[in-house]
Amino acid sequence: MQTAANMKTYHSELQEALADQFLRDTLDRFAVAYRANRAAIFADVDEKGLIAEIAEAKEAAIGRMDELYEQFKAEASKRGVIVHRARTAAEANELVRRIARENKVKTIVKAKSMTAEEILINHALEAEGCEVAETDLGEWIIQLRHEGPSHMVLPAIHLSRDQVADLFSQVTDERQTNDISKLVKVARRELRAKFAEADMGISGANFAIADTGTIGICSNEGNGRLVATLPRAHVAVCGLDKLVPSLGEALRIIRVLPRNATGQVITSYVSWITGAGECTVNPDQKKIMHVIFLDNGRTELAKDRLCGEALRCVRCGACANVCPVYRLVGGHKMGHIYIGAIGLILTYFYHGHDKARNLVQNCINCEACKNVCAAGIKLPAIIHEIRARLNEEEGAPIASSLLARVLSNRKLFHTLLRFGKWAQQPVTVGTPFVRHLPEIFAAGQGFRALPAIAAVPFRDEWAALKTSVASGRIKIGLFAGCAQDFVYPEQLRAAVKVFAAKNIAADFPMEQTCCGLPVRMMGERRAAEAAAAQNVQAFAREGFDYVVTLCASCAAHMKHNYEEILAGRPELKAEVRRFAGRIIDFSSFMRNVAELKDEDLNNSGEKVCYHASCHVCRGLGVVEEPRALMRAAGQYLPTDEEDVCCGFGGTYSVKFPEISSRLLDKKLSRLEDSGASTLLTECPGCVMQLRGGEEKRGRRLKVEHMSEFLARRLK
Amino acid sequence: MNKIDQAAVALFKAKAAPVSIFLTEVKGLTEAMDYAVEVCEKKEPFRPLLASSAAPDVPAAPGVPVKIMAAPELSEPDFLKLTQKGGAKGFSVIRDGLRRHLAGIDVGFTEADLALADTATSVLACQREDTRLATMICEIHVMALAKSKIAPDSARAENFLNELMKSGVMYTAFISGCSRTSDIERVLTLGVHGPLELHVALMEE
Ligand code: SF4
Repeated sequence: MQTAANMKTYHSELQEALADQFLRDTLDRFAVAYRANRAAIFADVDEKGLIAEIAEAKEAAIGRMDELYEQFKAEASKRGVIVHRARTAAEANELVRRIARENKVKTIVKAKSMTAEEILINHALEAEGCEVAETDLGEWIIQLRHEGPSHMVLPAIHLSRDQVADLFSQVTDERQTNDISKLVKVARRELRAKFAEADMGISGANFAIADTGTIGICSNEGNGRLVATLPRAHVAVCGLDKLVPSLGEALRIIRVLPRNATGQVITSYVSWITGAGECTVNPDQKKIMHVIFLDNGRTELAKDRLCGEALRCVRCGACANVCPVYRLVGGHKMGHIYIGAIGLILTYFYHGHDKARNLVQNCINCEACKNVCAAGIKLPAIIHEIRARLNEEEGAPIASSLLARVLSNRKLFHTLLRFGKWAQQPVTVGTPFVRHLPEIFAAGQGFRALPAIAAVPFRDEWAALKTSVASGRIKIGLFAGCAQDFVYPEQLRAAVKVFAAKNIAADFPMEQTCCGLPVRMMGERRAAEAAAAQNVQAFAREGFDYVVTLCASCAAHMKHNYEEILAGRPELKAEVRRFAGRIIDFSSFMRNVAELKDEDLNNSGEKVCYHASCHVCRGLGVVEEPRALMRAAGQYLPTDEEDVCCGFGGTYSVKFPEISSRLLDKKLSRLEDSGASTLLTECPGCVMQLRGGEEKRGRRLKVEHMSEFLARRLK
Repeated sequence: MNKIDQAAVALFKAKAAPVSIFLTEVKGLTEAMDYAVEVCEKKEPFRPLLASSAAPDVPAAPGVPVKIMAAPELSEPDFLKLTQKGGAKGFSVIRDGLRRHLAGIDVGFTEADLALADTATSVLACQREDTRLATMICEIHVMALAKSKIAPDSARAENFLNELMKSGVMYTAFISGCSRTSDIERVLTLGVHGPLELHVALMEE
C-alpha cells in the first residue's frame, strides 16, 4: 500500500524498494517467465480478437450497469439471495457488519477479493469483534504480516520462502523448514480448522451474471469453494463493474483472464453459484446468502468519457506483470490497493486524489500494459488524463507550467532552443555532450551524459538539403520532432540521403513544432492541444502521400492521440484524421513504401544489436521491418528483451532518475553481451538515453539511429 | 449430446496432461468405480487435518486407519455396488454427512455432467451440499466422464450451461485439475485446500 505524503517521501520509499535485492531478483525472474508463458498460452487462440470482444462486451455492460443490477437483484432474490447496493466503502462495511451481527457471527473465513481489500473490510469486521481469517495462501501470509498485497494475483510475491517459513514457525510454534510443499501443507492444516469453525464466509466475485442472478468465482486453491460452502452464511462483495448480461460474456472473459493472469488456460476451479443453495447446518437447510454490490465511485466513473473504460478491468494483474517500473520497485510502491497501471488509475477514482498524486507520476509511458490488457484498456492515456486533472485541480508544478507556456508558442520555444546552444557552451567544452550541468538541472542525472544542443538545427540546414529531394515518385512531409531538429539533426540528414537514393520527394514544413507528448505526459492539456493543432495545420496544405517521422514517440503520439486531444476543435476533425492516417515510421516507410531492398544496401557484416523503442514495437506495432533492414545491411544479433523500455520516457527520466538509470543499466548490459559493435534504435529519445549511458560506461557500443546506419550502408 | 465427438475426446486428452489430470479409459460406470476403489487402495490413508472428526462407519482393525470413500450422487443400486466393492477392501463408503468428515476423506467419486475439451474442464452440477463437500475435502477426486458428454469448448456448451443455471438454485463447478497454488515464490504446488489429485475416468458409454 503506497501512502507517501509527498514526492520526497515517495522517492525515498522507491530507494528502499530498489535496495531490496530479493524483490528485484524475484520480479526479474517473474517478468521473464511471464512473458514466455504468456506467449505460449495464447498461441492457440486469437488473442487480439478475444480482447476486442471482451472490451466491447464490458463496455456495453458498463453502459447499462444500473439496469443489470436491477435484473441481477430480481433473479437472485427469486432464488433466495439478498442483494444490496453500497454507495461507499463505509456503507458496504456497515452492511457486512450488520449481516454479521444479525447472524451472531464470531468467526469469518475469507476468500481472495480485491473489492474487499478496496473497502478494508477486515478492519471493519475486527472492530466489530469478529475474527477474520484469510484463506488464500498468499492473502493469509500477508494478513499474518499485517501487510497489503503487492500483486493482485500473487499477493505475497515480494516474500521469500525463508520469510514464510519464519512466519509459519511463529504461527505453529514449531520450527518450519523452507520446503515450499511443506509450507503449503501447514496452511492446509491450519486453515482447515478455520473453515470448520467459521460462521460466515466472505468472497468476491469475478462475474455477476444478470439474467440468472449467478455469481462466478475463479480460484486455483479451492478455498473459494469452501468459503462459499461450509459456513452458515456467505457474503459476496463485488464491484458494480462485475455485472455482465449473461453467461456468454463471462465465458469469453474466462478465455483470457487466466491466460493473462497466470498463464493457465483456465483456473482449477470456476464456481457458478445461482441462488442460496443447501446448507445443512441452518434450520431451514438453506444458505444465508448476500451479494453486496459496491459503487464507491463506479457510477461516476462509468459516465466519464475518457476514463470510464477503466471499469472494463477484469483484474488479471497483467499490467503489473509487464510493467518495467513494477519489476523494479514492486507492488507496494505501485498502487494504493489496486496495483500496476490500473492501480495508478483506480487509486485516483476509488481512494482519493491525494493518494494518487505521486503514484500517477510513476508511469514511463512504455505502453507495455496497454499491449497486454485483457480488456483492451488504453491505460497510459488514462494516466495522462489523470495528471491533467490533478494539474487543473491543484495547480501544476512550476517546471510543468513553464514548459507548457513555452511549448504553446512555437517561435518562443524554438528561440529558446537556439539560445540554449549558447547557454550551454561553458558546460559542453566543445563535445557533443553536456559536461558539467549545474546541479540544479542535473539532480540524479549522473547516470548518463546528456547531449548538447546542435550548432545548427535541422530546420536551418533544410534550405541547403532540400534540392537533393526536390522531386520524386512519392511525396512525403518530414516531421522532425524537437530532439532531432535541435539535438540530432544528423539523423535527419542521413534520412534525407536515403530518401534521395530511393527517389523520394521530401519537404519539411517550417511551421511544425514539438509533437506535444512531453506536455501531455505532464498533464498540460492546453499546451498539448496547441502543439497538436499547430502540427496538423503545418502539414495540411501540402499534398503529402505520407508524413514520415524518425521519432517513434512523436509518431505514435500523433497517430493515436491527436484525435482525442483535438476533440474540442471540430473544425480540424477531418484534417486530423487525414494527418494521422498518413503518419509512418522510417523503417516501415523505407522497407514497404520506398522499397529499399537488400540489393540497395552494402552488407559488410557489421555486427549490430537492436533496441526496439516502445513506441515502435508497441505504439506503432512495427516489428519486422527494422529487423529485415538490419539483416540486409549487417549481421543482426538478436538479444533478450529487445522490446523492454530503456528507461527514457521523456520527462520521466528526469522525474525518476533512480528508476530510469536502473532500466538503462539492465538494458545496456544485455546489449553489450550480444557481441555487437553497433546498437541501433529508432527514437531519438532512446538514442539520447542509450548513447548517454554508453558514454558513461565506456562506449563499448556505438549508438545510432537506423537512418544513420542505412545511410552508411547505401550502395 | 449422445454421439461421441472423437475430436473433442482427443482434445480433452491432450489438454488434461499439462494440468496434471490423471486420465484413464474405462467401459462404463462399474469399471469407473473399480478404478476409484483401486486408486483408494493404492493411496496412503488420508492425513487428518483436524484433531477430532467423526468415527468411520466401519470399525477398523486396531491400529489400522480406515479409508473413506464418498459418492453422494450415485443412484441407489450403484451406491450399493460401490459399497460392496469398497467394503471388500475394508473401506468405509459414505454418501452423506460429509460435514462430519471435515478432517478429510480419501476418495470422492462423482460423475461429470459435461466436459469442455479445450480446457480439460469437467462440469459438475451440485445441488447437494454433500456432493460439493465430497469434491472439496477428499485427497483424491475421481470423476467418471462419459465421452459422449465432452463438448469441444465452452462456447458450444453455452446453451446447456445456461439451462443448468436457469433451472433454479444451483452450484455449478468447473473443475480443471486439482487444487494448486503458486503463492510462495511462484513455485507450483499441488494440493492446498482441495484435492491433491484429480483423476478422470473416461467412459465409453
Ligand atoms: S487493467 Fe487490464 S491488464 Fe490491468 S488488471 Fe485490468 S484487465 Fe488486467
